[in-house]
Amino acid sequence: MILSLFDQFMSPTLLGVPLIGLALTLPWVLFFQPGARWLNNRLMTLQAMFMNWFVKQIFQPMSLGGHKWAALLMSLMLFLITLNMLGLLPYTFTPTTQLSLNMAFAVPLWLATVIIGMRNQPTHALGHLLPEGTPTALIPVLIVIETISLFIRPLALGVRLTANLTAGHLLIQLIATAAFVLFPMMPSIAILTSILLFLLTLLEIAVAMIQAYVFVLLLSLYLQENV
Amino acid sequence: MGGHDAGSQHQFTGIAKYFNSYTIIGRRNCVLATYASIAAIVLFFKLKPKKQAAVTEK
Repeated sequence: MILSLFDQFMSPTLLGVPLIGLALTLPWVLFFQPGARWLNNRLMTLQAMFMNWFVKQIFQPMSLGGHKWAALLMSLMLFLITLNMLGLLPYTFTPTTQLSLNMAFAVPLWLATVIIGMRNQPTHALGHLLPEGTPTALIPVLIVIETISLFIRPLALGVRLTANLTAGHLLIQLIATAAFVLFPMMPSIAILTSILLFLLTLLEIAVAMIQAYVFVLLLSLYLQENV
Repeated sequence: MGGHDAGSQHQFTGIAKYFNSYTIIGRRNCVLATYASIAAIVLFFKLKPKKQAAVTEK
């Protein structure tokens, strides 16, 4: 079977049965569960430390009304970082390379922040569409620009995550194929390509974590403006 | 992003009291006025009756 470069991004099916549901639910079994004992084990403690650090990082600058989003944003962060990191293993499918999934996260959550802002403080939410101190002649232009930038936000959120992960996976596949093909012909070049592949993999690990963090951070910033 | 402006140091008179880019109320009113103007322009062009070409007798 001849594989094209983009076959790794096809939603997996087995005998016509879509496996995307499994791809989305199985990563959750990898998380550590608290035991019946009073004190948790090391792994559970590490996981709890990470969760506490993340929640503090995101919610410290936020007013109290936004704190009810902590569980949602924390679970979103864990989900994204797990999917991204698992996707770096060979022959795995990364659901976050699918634009549909990322838009399904970005659009409802962004819309929720906008609706919360319009409901709770409509004057501030509308007033923020015009920067303070704008010259009179520029007021209509800037309002239109700010409105467009408001509606671009969910698109940017979804596409940023999709593009970063897709580009990274494609690069890994390209360079790995190059190293593999070059090995019988020019072994020294193949070794250099393999070193490049190793460095790229390290970069992709960083990108996987950073992109999940940026997604959740931006959502928390949009919430901060509106809550 | 700038902090909320109480608007106490700005003394506006006339129309600038309601439409300015310094107080939060002024900014809100500018935004609403802009949206209303755009809606009015769109409605005007949608509801404008189309001129029918004169039918010539054969």
